[in-house]
Amino acid sequence: MTMGQLMALAILVLVAATLSGPRLPRVWLALTLAGTAALLGAALWALGGSAVWDWRSGFAVGGERLHFRLDAVSAWFLTLVAIVGGAGAVYTREYWPDHERPESAGRGRAWWSALVLCMGLVLQCANGLHFLMAWEAFALSAFFLITLERDRRETRAAGWLYLAASHAGTLGLFAFFSLLAARTGSWDLGPMKDHPELAPLFWVALFGFGVKAGLFPLHIWLPSAHANAPSQVSAIMSGVAIKMGLYGLVRFSGWLPLPAGAGWAVLALGAVSAVLGAAFTLAQSDLKRLLAYCSVENMGVILIGLGVGLLGAANGDTTWGRVAMAGALLHVWNHGLFKSLLFLAAGSVLHATGTREMSRLGGLWRAMPWTAGLFGFGAVAISALPPLNGFVSEWLVYLGLFDAAAGHVPVAVAIVPAAIALGVTGALALAAFVKAAAMVFLGAARTQNAAHAHECGWWMRAPMLTLAAACVGLALAPVVVWPFLRQPLGAWNPAWRGGEPPAPLAALGALQAALAALVAAAAGALWLRARANGLRRALTWDCGYAAPTTRMQYTSGSFAALAVGWFAWALRPERWLRWPRGPFPSRADHVERIPETVLERAIGPVSEVVMAASAWMRRRQQGRLPDYIFYLVAGLAAVGALVVFGGM
Amino acid sequence: MNDLLNLLIGLAMGLNLVALGTSRLPSLIRIAALQGMVLGIMPLVMEHELRVMLLAVAVATVSMKGLVIPALLRRAMRTANIDRDLDPLIGFLPSLLLGAAGMIGAVVLARRLPLRPEHHESLLVAGALASVLAGLLLLIGRSKAISQVCGYLILENGIYLFGLLLIHSTPLLVEGGILLDLTVAVFVIGIIVDRIQRAFDSLDTRKLTVLRE
Repeated sequence: MTMGQLMALAILVLVAATLSGPRLPRVWLALTLAGTAALLGAALWALGGSAVWDWRSGFAVGGERLHFRLDAVSAWFLTLVAIVGGAGAVYTREYWPDHERPESAGRGRAWWSALVLCMGLVLQCANGLHFLMAWEAFALSAFFLITLERDRRETRAAGWLYLAASHAGTLGLFAFFSLLAARTGSWDLGPMKDHPELAPLFWVALFGFGVKAGLFPLHIWLPSAHANAPSQVSAIMSGVAIKMGLYGLVRFSGWLPLPAGAGWAVLALGAVSAVLGAAFTLAQSDLKRLLAYCSVENMGVILIGLGVGLLGAANGDTTWGRVAMAGALLHVWNHGLFKSLLFLAAGSVLHATGTREMSRLGGLWRAMPWTAGLFGFGAVAISALPPLNGFVSEWLVYLGLFDAAAGHVPVAVAIVPAAIALGVTGALALAAFVKAAAMVFLGAARTQNAAHAHECGWWMRAPMLTLAAACVGLALAPVVVWPFLRQPLGAWNPAWRGGEPPAPLAALGALQAALAALVAAAAGALWLRARANGLRRALTWDCGYAAPTTRMQYTSGSFAALAVGWFAWALRPERWLRWPRGPFPSRADHVERIPETVLERAIGPVSEVVMAASAWMRRRQQGRLPDYIFYLVAGLAAVGALVVFGGM
Repeated sequence: MNDLLNLLIGLAMGLNLVALGTSRLPSLIRIAALQGMVLGIMPLVMEHELRVMLLAVAVATVSMKGLVIPALLRRAMRTANIDRDLDPLIGFLPSLLLGAAGMIGAVVLARRLPLRPEHHESLLVAGALASVLAGLLLLIGRSKAISQVCGYLILENGIYLFGLLLIHSTPLLVEGGILLDLTVAVFVIGIIVDRIQRAFDSLDTRKLTVLRE
């Protein structure tokens, strides 16, 4: 069997899965798993050898011959599509079953396979026209998945916002691919470093792909879409779909010549996304919205790595740029895995309690030990703490930054602020995940719903465990990943082809393993000790108040208040306060809300002006013929005035 | 010769102002008819020798614009049973002032346009522009269908004046064709006016806005 046959098989099986989705849940699950397994096989095959699958068909779609191409960069992202696509499919069986969601379960299955298929096609299309078609199909299937629960108003609003933002980005991509085709004379994609006149197109691509990737000022669609989608959809959207935007950036920054400032712009954009994404993460009170903002932050981290990689490639350096780029690519995998895991765990919480509001949860670890453990695991990984995998990739990015700064290269001046931004990001992300895990799983249950939570079943647990196992593998043996990782690096920049793994990667594996063993030993010792001595349970000190309730715990707002204050210039928190007054105060309120700053303060007012102008124009369109004639006369008079006085 | 032509054009421009100032529909129709007849005899003044074709077109123009079209309009007016445009969108005095301003503007504009030397002395371009403006002003400012038709006629008269600039190069047959078009259009409008009146019990075009967009 060749790689081409494997790919064709995967595509056919996924098409069959899409067709069987609405009616036959078991057949669908089997077909989707088979399809994603085939995708995974093809991707690992392409990553393992240095072979590039390049297939041109005589069959034309839209006047262009089909051209598929699976090289290491595509395969790197395809691996993630396959793993999360398979895991989410299993998860759906219990999370979104027919008997609970008779309306949408069938639709959800069909669109799921379609989404996986379309993302696979996006990664393989080597023709601009077909890339756009696959991209649009991918965006639409994601839209239908986000709006599965379309009887809810917020879901519909989130879906429309996603669709609008996505199409704004696609508009940029239309411009990008058409200009590319116009300047090269062909829709065919491939390395074009020898056309220096294509360099300015990078900015168009940065906008188009940046919207999909959720970079900071372009992230407006991301929080509401990820929060309101069903959790398995949030997982694949956050873990994989936004990586498609990143794939576009990596792909075309590798193929096209780059303008002089590209590396700097990407680095700056990454730093802004990372820091502000982390600040917004910390301020959220909705569990899934918190995870969504965390994706913005992690895309920023990846972009910092990519920016340093671009600078390294532009300076002809092969060490620090390569290390940072390796970190960025590895973080793509890592973030895809643990973010999906976290969203699936959040889905388990939502399934058990019916709310995403962290201040209505609490104490869930007793009822849901598996979910709590897996969420905690994901939280440690995403906070980039050793010994888990988030640390490995962020460490590589840090190393790239440090090497560049220490090497006295001209870029060092700007590298140092980027390193500081990355550090700030890490601290904020850690605080955010301490908050999330503590609010949801520790303390006492704040509401009845939280008190009556139940653990999820094995169909939901198994995919989470799979993802967690993949994280552990990447964490403890990062050197094993190197043979795979060096392929996309080499494909991205041929100067970095081959070579030994960077020294830190080899050392890190042993260190991580030792640390993990140490942590495990300490935890074991603690458990044994607790078992021997017994655990003493007592009330928290309650300031002498006679009737404490479970609501008298830290809320997510109070936990984050300090850091939110530091970032008040960006977060613009809105507070309504009614102080308790008099010796016998009756009622007092404190409401705090973190707005979607970019959406509500920048895009909202602008679109209101546009809407007001349109409404004014609309009133002029009342169908009275004399008015239309007046417009004509006024227009003619204006043109006449231009002709007469313009010549003066 | 040129003086006589300019006199006629001046007469037509004066009629524009009278049309803008009047509220009675019969006099509006009469003014449009009179202007049409004045325009109809202009080719005879402009040409030095009389040709049969020229004569035929002049006679056709005068009879169509001066007799047939006004008759059609009067008939429509009688069936619709109105003879005044009482609530114009732009009042009679303002439209008169606007028309006068437009006339001055037209004369100024005509001076600035790069015309051929033989047209420098004539008022043809100024008169054409002034009539077009007056016609548009009637179309915009009046509410009843019949006064709008009169505006349309005056607008067409302005275009006809422009056409006279090219009298030496345009075949007169084209003028004849335009005349026929105009007559048919007014004939159709006459029928439509009757239908509008029956369907809506009013000739106010401001009420005909349901089919917008």
